[in-house]
Amino acid sequence: MQFIAIAGTNAAHSYNRQLLTFMQGHFKSQAEITLLPLTGVPLFNEAQVATPPAAVVAANQAIAAADGVIIATPEHNHSIPAALKSLIEWLSCDFKPFKGKPVMIVGASVQPQGSSRAQLHLRQILDAPGVDATVMPGSEFLLGSAQNAFTEDGALKDPRTVDFLDSCFSRFLRFTKVANQLNEPEDVTFTPGDFEVEAVGHNGALPMTVTLSKDRIEDIQIDSSGETAGIASVVFARIPKQIIEGQTLNVDILSGASVTSRGVIDGVAKAVRLAGADPEVLRNRPKAPSALDHEDRELTVDVAIVGAGGAGLTAAAKVLQAGKSALVLEKFPAAGGNTVRAGGPMNAPDPAWQNSFPANPGENHTLAQLAATDPATIDAEYRDDFIALQAQLKDYLAGKADYLFDSKLLYRIQTYLGGKRTDLNGTTIYGQYDLVKILTDHALDSVKWLEDVGVSFDKTEVTMPVGALWRRGHKPEGSVGFAYISALSKFVKANGGTIMTDTPVESLLIEDGRVTGVVAKGANGQTITVHAGAVILASGGFGANTKMLQQYNTYWTKIEDDIKTSNSPAITGDGIRLGESAGAALVGMGFTQMMPVSDPNTGALFSGLQVPPANFIMVNQKGKRFVNEYGSRDQLTQAAIDNGGLFYLIADDEIKKTAYNTTQESLDKQVEAGTLFRADTLEDLARQLNMDPATLTTTIANYNRYVDAGEDPEFGKSVFDLKVVKAPFYATPRKPAMHHTMGGLKIDTHTHVLAEDGHAIAGLYAAGEVAGGIHAGNRLGGNSLSDIFTFGRIAGVTAVSELKK
Amino acid sequence: MNLIGIVGTNAPTSTNRQLLQYMQRHFKNQATITIQEIADFPAFDEPEDHRAPVGIAELSAAIAAADGVIIATPEYDHSIPAALKSLLEWLSYTDRPLIDKPVLVVGASYGALGTSRAQGHLRQILDAPELKARLMPGAEFLLAHSQQAFTADGDLAKPEDAAALDEYVAQFLEFVEITKQLLKGRSVQTQQHKQFAWDK
Repeated sequence: MQFIAIAGTNAAHSYNRQLLTFMQGHFKSQAEITLLPLTGVPLFNEAQVATPPAAVVAANQAIAAADGVIIATPEHNHSIPAALKSLIEWLSCDFKPFKGKPVMIVGASVQPQGSSRAQLHLRQILDAPGVDATVMPGSEFLLGSAQNAFTEDGALKDPRTVDFLDSCFSRFLRFTKVANQLNEPEDVTFTPGDFEVEAVGHNGALPMTVTLSKDRIEDIQIDSSGETAGIASVVFARIPKQIIEGQTLNVDILSGASVTSRGVIDGVAKAVRLAGADPEVLRNRPKAPSALDHEDRELTVDVAIVGAGGAGLTAAAKVLQAGKSALVLEKFPAAGGNTVRAGGPMNAPDPAWQNSFPANPGENHTLAQLAATDPATIDAEYRDDFIALQAQLKDYLAGKADYLFDSKLLYRIQTYLGGKRTDLNGTTIYGQYDLVKILTDHALDSVKWLEDVGVSFDKTEVTMPVGALWRRGHKPEGSVGFAYISALSKFVKANGGTIMTDTPVESLLIEDGRVTGVVAKGANGQTITVHAGAVILASGGFGANTKMLQQYNTYWTKIEDDIKTSNSPAITGDGIRLGESAGAALVGMGFTQMMPVSDPNTGALFSGLQVPPANFIMVNQKGKRFVNEYGSRDQLTQAAIDNGGLFYLIADDEIKKTAYNTTQESLDKQVEAGTLFRADTLEDLARQLNMDPATLTTTIANYNRYVDAGEDPEFGKSVFDLKVVKAPFYATPRKPAMHHTMGGLKIDTHTHVLAEDGHAIAGLYAAGEVAGGIHAGNRLGGNSLSDIFTFGRIAGVTAVSELKK
Repeated sequence: MNLIGIVGTNAPTSTNRQLLQYMQRHFKNQATITIQEIADFPAFDEPEDHRAPVGIAELSAAIAAADGVIIATPEYDHSIPAALKSLLEWLSYTDRPLIDKPVLVVGASYGALGTSRAQGHLRQILDAPELKARLMPGAEFLLAHSQQAFTADGDLAKPEDAAALDEYVAQFLEFVEITKQLLKGRSVQTQQHKQFAWDK
């Protein structure tokens, strides 16, 4: 039997250490006792839990490996010494080696009491939930007047004392055997199935599905759409990941999000109980290996990619396709970035496909306007393309013009026109021609490439995302953003790539002006140094960094301190800062895009009924329409701000069926929670919204007439689909939230990151929202997906082609 | 009246610190509370010469000069933090300024128990002959769910917490006066120089 013995003091001389040394020799035929020194253990400090001192790590390993522990405590001020308490505190935080460990307490003091009170305190301390040792009851060994107790050779003088110690120790040997039986892992058997439970969120209960097979937790899905973005979304990613990885409910709660953390753990525990197993068994299992990994690491790869969103995973996939190694570093606990939040289809002109759909009412009007526009109003770089487009349009309009038109040129000109904006300083900006040309020429190739790596698209309809200007959206089957990320993640992993989550990149390695790698921080605070032949920044924009938005803003009159965002909370401009550290130039940073139709409480897109803009009916808080719902995002945002921010999307039962990313069950819950309004009559709906019923009914009656007429004399909406007719009626509250940052690192068409003087920074590439210059003053809906997949592919190819041989 | 308020932890964020800051502000008309941090003190290691490091010696002098001491303790593993215990060991091993000093114990915890067990231990510890503090008996103040206990301005959010603390501190101020009367003219020197009796 192997025991660790701890003398509870760091003093140079100690009778307690002498007692343990005696026991070590005296019992050597029965057990191997190893003394663990307390020297080198600093005072416990909560701030350093993530990076425990080496002596604590060593103590953890020694105790974890031992059959039991003997603690000899002095008594200082009626309690145990701070030095011993400190070691216990360190070990109770993260490692917990005492959990279930058999412990024998002894103690010596120069007074007659022999540490009696310290021993009682120690029992109580070892019983605390964070320590949870199994302390042997009874058999109290108290050595009083210790200064007279030992011979010169360090043996106990009094034979009766030795006899009593013998009996205590022999009892401890038996106790250790019995107590360790309690620690043998118990198997669990589940009734396999999907179990619907609830996790606790800040905005109420969140539906959670736990998938269990006979002996494993296979999957945990949490519907957090009603939850405020922020630390909670870290919880909803990290905790399920660790539960599945370790097949354990012994998971650290996140500081600052203890309620939601416990909510997820308890939710899974409930599912386990529903499946006929005891969750306590899972709570007693060790933590997931990744949660215990504190080791610094040094890695070498061909290409390091910062950010596991759509751009980063695409770049990684291209690197792997070229036969090189790729490592993706993601600061969030899960891959996906903003892409996983994308709800709209991606833009790519595919006339052969689009032409098979009939033209919608109003679309030809848009084309006729373009055909009639004076080319002199178009900026010089785009003028030739514009004139060529006008020829295409005239040909089309001269025919029957009954099918959906599209071309690369129309896409290019719309991206250019949609992106042209003037800020508050009078500076006008539009998309850099060479970058826009690449985007618009290669977006369809990106769709095809995505199909090759496993994304399947729904070809039965061609839709227009909010703010897209044209129907050229390719919509993946299944949940839109997740479909891209799941296919790309799978591809990257299947082809030997690595995605390290919870690993924020903190700096670039730069040697002689060349970027040669990154330094990142691991999930448990360890340093991960990556040496790479190329570094691709694909970390997204800065939509979730309010300070940075305010710092650069030149477009909006004001960005409020409490502005919500539709972005992942991880999107804080890290890649822009990294690029700057290597001398990168920035472009168009002052221009940001608000999503006018966001949840007023969470900034999320997909709460309530989010339908195609043809079916938008926007009313202000008085129940009146106030804008052309088919307008650009900026027009909608400004109109909303002018109408007090909060407004409502009105829908009927038929319009409801055109909503993205929702289910009837989810809608019913939102109605119950008061975040979505539903009524059998428009009058009743108006009353719920504190509007004058007559105003709302008049507004809707007028709108329905405009749909019939195909024309809106009030606000000029030109593309219509459904009327508001069939009960029940819905009102979805909306408010503008930060959605996209167009500015970023200056890149060229090969995704080289450029310095102020225009030279390409060796070894550094950027793709996606982290780069600027493409969308300029306003990004068309559906264009960010086209951007990340197109420039992500280019970044992968360029980086590989420029690797040093 | 001059009181020393000891933050019983070395953690950078602590609701016990917040509690002392509130007390300092809220009771400023009744007492001057000087807040004492412990994060920079070294770990106690029983030096042969029984001499306190500089920061500890300064604190000992300040305690000796003060009318009383408030200790705000978190609860770590059913007891007081090692950092606070280490400070008390230094004080008891060197200048022993807590002998006969009126002491008020308060504590705040994230959970529901409000440091009840740590306060119990702290009282037993302060009762040890080497510390021999004059603890106020008969009342206690436990601040549970301390992350929700304060307003954005640092005031106690619940009126019942504020009232309980007002009552508790009022009793203590009286206790300080009574203790002074009790010990009138008595010298603590003998006590302080008594042979030290720990295991080495």
